[in-house]
Amino acid sequence: MQEKDILQEEIKEVEKLLTVNKLTKENATFSETKGGFITLLLDGEQKGQVNVICTFPFTAPNEFLSVRTADDKEEELGIIENLNDFDEQTVLIIKKQLEIRYFMPEILKVFSVKEEYGHTYWSVLTNKGKHKFTSPSGSSGSVIRNGNRVIIKDSDQNRYEIKDLSKLTPKEMKKLDLYL
Amino acid sequence: MSEKRPLSEMPKGLKQIVEDKKLLKTKLLIFAEADMNSACDFCRFVLLLTEDALVVGTNNKLGFSDPDNKEIDYSDFSFTEYKISELSNPTITTYVVGGMFSAKIGGEQTPICAFTNAYKGRVMRIKEILSVILENKEIKPERLFEDKRDEFCHKCGMPYPEKNRKICPKCMDKRKIFFRLASCFKPFKFKLVLISVLCILSALVNSVWPILNGTLLYDNVLAKNKANSVFEALPFEDFSIFLLILVFMMVGVKILQQLFGVIQGILVAQIVPKVVADLKNKVFASIQHLSVSFFTGKETGGLMSRITSDATNVTNIFIDGLPFILPNLFTIIFSCMVMFATSPLLAVVAIATLPPAVIISIKLEPVLWHYNSRRFQTARDFRAKLNDNLTGARVVRAFGREESEKVRLQKVNENVAAAQTDAMNFDVKYTALYHIAQSLSSVLTFTIGAAFVLAVFKPQMTYGTLMTFTGYVSLLAGPANFFSFIFRWWSDSMNSAQRIFEILDAKPEVTEDPNAVPKTNIKGNITLKDVTFGYEENREVLKNVSLTVNQGEMLGIVGKSGAGKTTLVNLITRLYDVTEGEILIDGVNVRDMRFSDLRKNIALVSQETYIFKGTIFDNIAYANPSADRKTVIDAAIAASAHDFICKLPDGYDTEVGSGGRGLSGGERQRISIARAILADPKILILDEATAAVDTETEKNIQASLKKLVKNRTTLSIAHRLSTLRDADKLVVIERGKITEQGTHKELMLKKGEYFKLYQIQSKALAMRGIGD
Ligand SMILES: Nc1ncnc2c1ncn2[C@@H]1O[C@H](COP(=O)(O)OP(=O)(O)OP(=O)(O)O)[C@@H](O)[C@H]1O
Ligand SMILES: [Mg+2]
Repeated sequence: MQEKDILQEEIKEVEKLLTVNKLTKENATFSETKGGFITLLLDGEQKGQVNVICTFPFTAPNEFLSVRTADDKEEELGIIENLNDFDEQTVLIIKKQLEIRYFMPEILKVFSVKEEYGHTYWSVLTNKGKHKFTSPSGSSGSVIRNGNRVIIKDSDQNRYEIKDLSKLTPKEMKKLDLYL
Repeated sequence: MSEKRPLSEMPKGLKQIVEDKKLLKTKLLIFAEADMNSACDFCRFVLLLTEDALVVGTNNKLGFSDPDNKEIDYSDFSFTEYKISELSNPTITTYVVGGMFSAKIGGEQTPICAFTNAYKGRVMRIKEILSVILENKEIKPERLFEDKRDEFCHKCGMPYPEKNRKICPKCMDKRKIFFRLASCFKPFKFKLVLISVLCILSALVNSVWPILNGTLLYDNVLAKNKANSVFEALPFEDFSIFLLILVFMMVGVKILQQLFGVIQGILVAQIVPKVVADLKNKVFASIQHLSVSFFTGKETGGLMSRITSDATNVTNIFIDGLPFILPNLFTIIFSCMVMFATSPLLAVVAIATLPPAVIISIKLEPVLWHYNSRRFQTARDFRAKLNDNLTGARVVRAFGREESEKVRLQKVNENVAAAQTDAMNFDVKYTALYHIAQSLSSVLTFTIGAAFVLAVFKPQMTYGTLMTFTGYVSLLAGPANFFSFIFRWWSDSMNSAQRIFEILDAKPEVTEDPNAVPKTNIKGNITLKDVTFGYEENREVLKNVSLTVNQGEMLGIVGKSGAGKTTLVNLITRLYDVTEGEILIDGVNVRDMRFSDLRKNIALVSQETYIFKGTIFDNIAYANPSADRKTVIDAAIAASAHDFICKLPDGYDTEVGSGGRGLSGGERQRISIARAILADPKILILDEATAAVDTETEKNIQASLKKLVKNRTTLSIAHRLSTLRDADKLVVIERGKITEQGTHKELMLKKGEYFKLYQIQSKALAMRGIGD
């Protein structure tokens, strides 16, 4: 008898794992704490602090966002299929959170790119201020190019983005040309 | 290890301010820097932690502090002090890159600062120590010193370009490396000296050539003038004989040149391969001693090819570079001397027009080099993709992806072609430019020189002198070029050398205690006391694990995938060292045991079976190559491998491993088990060792293991619980912690996680009518 219960329970648990809980305007309310963290009220139940994770951070940053508890269990509470279905306020606080999580300064200007001793030394202006970083040269994966969008990973695995190569000046392009 | 720096060390500028402002009431424990504010804007932060306060300073200036100015100006920092008593729940929220440090201040979780990966380690340490203080525990003194994951070069403050390589390429002592390298050439001292002498000789011979084919030919022989030449000493005046002598001299010079070249080539051929092989051998030998952690996160194929190219790189500068420095210098000085002696004015013109070519080569050579390396990179990419495609051929077919694979490869191949075209285009342009610059110089020199010959300018010059002169001008080009790239070459090869030495010098993270007591007779009692371990800092995979296994017992380890089971047994075999706590075998800490004793007494059948290239016999006898056929067959029988081996046409002589015959997953596992059985260890560890074999075979293996298990401690990890039915004791691991332990019966009575798992497995099987 007891055994059957456990099995039943497990099946339910598995079912729960297999069904994607869709978070919508109707069942989920996100709010921001004073410290800038996000809490979730789901079906009238306070779930506490949550983390929002992009499942396609590069190709679809606003879709299929996984919402998980902020403890170390990181249990998935549900998925936001499209962030834009939510009200403006929610979009704002979640976007702010995502921006922090997927921190990726945008490179606006390239001052110099130099290669020395097997490392590429970059000096750039980002939307977050002037910055210098080093990326391992020659190793594939440190510069990801997708059409005119370029993502550069430095040796610390920090990422930098060039949103549109064609917006750089020809002089900057020339500096970059060899490294892309 | 005594050079470890305390984490309380602050930059000078900051120290002054902290003292002036009397910011700290008690002793500083840790100093850390961070580089972002809570909105993730670049911004400077300093964190100072003492026993009773956390002081946070920031300049609130957006933008990364001027990156060109290494000295940070701390004078405009504003500081906030948080009393420890006001703080609770310090938390690091890790992001994809870096993370955020927050704590509960006045009942509200409040961000303190954020950081990119470069500053992660230190901030995490602050959080760790803060938690320890808040929990009123004792701070471990060693946690207040930097450890292997320190982030910055001590000398120049630059972040290390490679995290697991604590070398700052700008600050490394190249001279020291050089001398160390030079010692590799010691056995060839004599030959190297010979090479250098040959270089000097050929430089000398080379410098004679312009005289022969210039003044001597035109001004003396052809002009029938004996004065001021070697012919003056001769008693007769037959210019056809002089011409003959000159021709012989010229032929002699050319022969000598070739001869020196040949001898040099032979010597080089004798030295280079030996030194390269020697370096590689040394590197591979020392790799064998390194801890496993050295290899994780390194692409092994890449590692090997890099070592090979590094060794070649390093050797080449000794052979093609250094011996030529002196001769080239000599050529320059000698040519200049002759040129100035002949005609100072023309010499000035010639030398003044030389720089454009040199500058072109200095400026464009690196670019060319870069294009070429990109060419190699794309070619490597292509090979990798192709290899991927071929080894994964079955998957490709199975999913019917041949067409798209073709397109994918085509794309990569196009990249290769494009890179090649680019490199060639550039090469052509570069060469043309260089030659134009060079010819311009010689045309100019020649024109002005011709004016001298025609006596437009005084003093008049003979045609032969002009030929000699231009001969020297062109002699200069080689050395000028040489010196323009030797510096780059030098630093590149020193960097290669550094990488080699690094492996040679790498201290394994797991080291043998030199005072380890030999302990050949291990009984097999295993005790874990409060073991905590993480592969990465601050991400604990095992937390306070304690357990005991008595000699001869069988311990079953159960838990979800990723719970830390494999990690636990890796620690017992000392593939890694525990972060905290201790592991005892027969009451002796594994850190105090010799590696050889550990390896001899513990055999591991791991989750990832590895079959070496060789015969099945070799593979089973791996642990004991001197094992005879009978022993190997016995081991194979015990592992239920004998039957399938017999069915192979070549039996135990079947070649397996890469390039050999394919084996099924279960067959590989059984060979691994046989390998472990043959090792006859006191402690046998089976990590999912029978996961890929059918239940029937598993039962057979278990029966024979049971026989073998006598007098042997066995740790068995299994997802299939029926595998562990015979275990004397079971532990359940959940997210790095032992949540349940006891016998099968006890755990069933307890009706906890194990009970649940067991029920599910047997019920699920029973429901489908295949229960056992
Ligand atoms: N070399 C490594 N570096 C970093 N993390 C690792 C490494 N090896 C394992 N881990 C992590 O440690 C955790 C425990 O891994 P472990 O291999 O011990 O799991 P396991 O219990 O054996 O799982 P399974 O049943 O799937 O074999 C996992 O989260 C894994 O991602
Ligand atoms: Mg495992």
